[in-house]
Amino acid sequence: MAAFAAVGAAVVVLYILKLKRRPVAVPFSRIWERILRDKEATSLFSQLKRLLSLLLQLALVALLVLALGDPRTTANLVEGRNLVVLIDASASMQATDVAPSRLEAGKKRVIDMVRGLGASDRMLIAQMDAGTTPLSTLTSDVAELEAAIAKVEPTEARADFARGLRFAADVLRGQPKTEVVVVSDGVLGPARDQFGAVDLAGAKLSFSPIGERGNNAAITGFSVRRYPLDKSRYEVMLEVTNTSPEPLDVELSLWGDGQMTEITRLRLGPEERVPRFYPNLSGASKTLEARLSLADDKHDDLPADDRAYALLPERRRAKVQVVTAGNMYLEAALLLDEYLEVTTVAPASYPAEGKFDVTIFDAVAPKVSPNSGGLLYLGPSGGELPFELEDEVKDDDPEQPLGFDELDSKHPLVRWANLADVNVSRARPIKATKEDRVVGKSFRGPLLVEGRRDGRKFVALGFDVRSSDLPLRIAWPLFLLGSIDLFVEEDTSYISSFATGEVWRVPAPSGASSATLTLPGGAKTPVPVDEGRAIFLGRRSGFYELETGDPGSRTTSGFAANLVDAAESDIEPVAELSVGEVKASAPTGFSVGVRREMWGYLLALVVAVSAIEWFLYHRRVTV
Amino acid sequence: MGFFDVLFARARAPISRRFGAGVRATTEEDIFDDEFQRKLETLAVVSKRVFSGAMRAERRTRKTGSGVEFADHRDYVPGDDFRYLDWNVWQRMGRLLIRLYEEEEDLSIYFIIDASSSMGFGDGEKLRHAKRLVAALAYVGLANLDRVTIVGASDAIDGRMPETRGKSRIFRVFRFLRDVRPSGETDLESAIKTFVAQHKRRGLAVLVSDLYDHKGFEKGINALRFAKFEPFVLHVVDDKERTPELRGDVRVYDCETGDEREVTVTAKVLDRYAKAYDDWLATVGKYCASKQVDYFRAEVTVPFDELILRVFRKGGFLR
Repeated sequence: MAAFAAVGAAVVVLYILKLKRRPVAVPFSRIWERILRDKEATSLFSQLKRLLSLLLQLALVALLVLALGDPRTTANLVEGRNLVVLIDASASMQATDVAPSRLEAGKKRVIDMVRGLGASDRMLIAQMDAGTTPLSTLTSDVAELEAAIAKVEPTEARADFARGLRFAADVLRGQPKTEVVVVSDGVLGPARDQFGAVDLAGAKLSFSPIGERGNNAAITGFSVRRYPLDKSRYEVMLEVTNTSPEPLDVELSLWGDGQMTEITRLRLGPEERVPRFYPNLSGASKTLEARLSLADDKHDDLPADDRAYALLPERRRAKVQVVTAGNMYLEAALLLDEYLEVTTVAPASYPAEGKFDVTIFDAVAPKVSPNSGGLLYLGPSGGELPFELEDEVKDDDPEQPLGFDELDSKHPLVRWANLADVNVSRARPIKATKEDRVVGKSFRGPLLVEGRRDGRKFVALGFDVRSSDLPLRIAWPLFLLGSIDLFVEEDTSYISSFATGEVWRVPAPSGASSATLTLPGGAKTPVPVDEGRAIFLGRRSGFYELETGDPGSRTTSGFAANLVDAAESDIEPVAELSVGEVKASAPTGFSVGVRREMWGYLLALVVAVSAIEWFLYHRRVTV
Repeated sequence: MGFFDVLFARARAPISRRFGAGVRATTEEDIFDDEFQRKLETLAVVSKRVFSGAMRAERRTRKTGSGVEFADHRDYVPGDDFRYLDWNVWQRMGRLLIRLYEEEEDLSIYFIIDASSSMGFGDGEKLRHAKRLVAALAYVGLANLDRVTIVGASDAIDGRMPETRGKSRIFRVFRFLRDVRPSGETDLESAIKTFVAQHKRRGLAVLVSDLYDHKGFEKGINALRFAKFEPFVLHVVDDKERTPELRGDVRVYDCETGDEREVTVTAKVLDRYAKAYDDWLATVGKYCASKQVDYFRAEVTVPFDELILRVFRKGGFLR
């Protein structure tokens, strides 16, 4: 109102001010006088015309001020809805049965919704994949919402529907007229998580289904493992699934370091799963990739699940120092792995020259020298132990034989070695501290402990292997090589890949607090490192590289990630969606029609009034 | 006094001190060139043919009421003496014609050329045209051995070329006309009264003017009539003054008096102005006709020789 008064007053003052006229000479002013006499007779009318001009200007000012005030009708103020739109960006939304893809079709549909929003409706756009990412605020700004829709990107992970719904419910809590709109192909899984079924807190659920058919074949399993005793060779397990109701002829190829090493043709029946096993492979030293294509050179509807990746860690010779007075079992076991460079020294000659990855102390415990690497104590005794020992125990109770009564079977030390029925005649249990990890335990105390002292890793076996039947078992060399691999940070036997859509905990080689992750597309992103593990929610399959350390001393490690998810590959679109008892309806109330804000119309009116004023001025009506 | 002082002093000056704007001095270098003189000769020959049997100091002139020899007819215009209407023609053809008679008389021709500011207004074409007309008519007069006198007039008599005869004096006419410059206000009455007082010998008085006289052009013409001169009005008009190129909010001021008027010029106003201008021209024509004063409108766009021939055809000059 104040603005209108000020500008209006300025307009009036401008009208009161006398117009400065251009002087022009004429040859005979008498003739002009005749006209002006006539004109004076109509001066009242001309005054009125000037008043009309003034009124038009004041109307212009009033309209402009009103437009700046962004007026809304009362009805619009009351009727506003609060909407959260969850756009499914999971792998199945990359299906191309709807051109150009389901995700693009979904984004287009949401753009139509945004343009059809009511005057005081508010909307939030969120991308739903393995996590849920809000891309806008809860707003009625069409430009912001359209920009948010453009930011939605496809991922190669399954959607966490429950997380998306919980996010939407949290956003809408306490708001009136709430609605959750799910734009998806319906391949979402149940709306449940570890906290139970999701409660939408009274919000209306709408579902905009996308997709026409589900013609797809997928790699639904891909595992590679090295042979523990011949790490240059590996075996591959593949699983191929036809998720469509039609039989499909497919070509399955295996690529090592970018070169094709195997190709197989398969006929997959409707909904059939075919496992394939490739033993004793060699040739690839770095990357391994499986590719699936239709036999007739066509593509199925979802290319995202037609590839799977594995990365074979680079092999290097581990340097092992064995401090022993002589142990045939130990030396024989170490001969099994040709990738080990073993140096045997007598206890008195310790330390040997050079830098070692691992030092094995066989029943001795001298003062540890700096270049010893990780420490493996077998039957520890002596004064320089980094841990304390209990008194010696003997296998003297026939009812309770001495051995491993409890084993942490997931620990890499014993994952492939069965120590459960090892018989021990004498042992000295280890006093483990809180930070140590007890891997194997007898009823008399811990016998196998992994820990860290002064930044140095150690593994301690609480008995001399010669006082047990362990060296006679296949578990002995496996345990020994597993211990060495633990120290050289090389998980030798099983080359796992990460599954997309999960939070990865990638081993980081050094003790850095942050690392840089290079994604399959080449983009780099910083990731936090917690307890020697880089933490990242992976959304794309392919090869990743993790860099840690300062620029001068950078260490790089690679790993692979795969979408091997039969449920996500089943891309048959779902027409209906339910959350608990609530059945989703089709989204309504997005009719494109009248613009919601009045200021646009007011501005158009300003232009119209300006045009009228311009016309009247140039026709000399209002002057 | 700095630049701005000069500027402000100029802006503060009353508009009357600035008038004269839009008035240009005419350039005479080219108006009496060889081509012009050749045309004059042609006109003189034509005039001889019209005025055949010329004797020294004998000219046929039209003098109503006293003529004996019938010469020609011309169209009746309101104000003509009814006595000279040719009723026989009207009877036969239904046209009102005036009988023209010839009478021989020793004649003095006076040219009164308006040299006020308004004659030089715009591109100065009016004054240039007036000078050409005066020179041409003077040559015809000189060639017929009439006494020719030329005076310049604004609000007084500005200059005078004394009475002269003979074709060879035409260069004196040129010289005099070249020196005529536009300046001052138009006051025909005052100027002509002076003229009348200075010239006792009566004769034909050709007034060449735009008649932009704020006190009334009638007074000037009347001064001639009342002093027994035979007035012949050559009204110089420029069509550009009928349709001025004006637009928007302006303050118009008279180039002679400096009188100001505020006016917003629109297409409608321009139409009304053109109508008022036409009305004014009609008023002048009507007045001259009503007073039996020969009147001829000389438009600047029409070449002077063509105009002179028109004058001859229409009659009224030297007949």
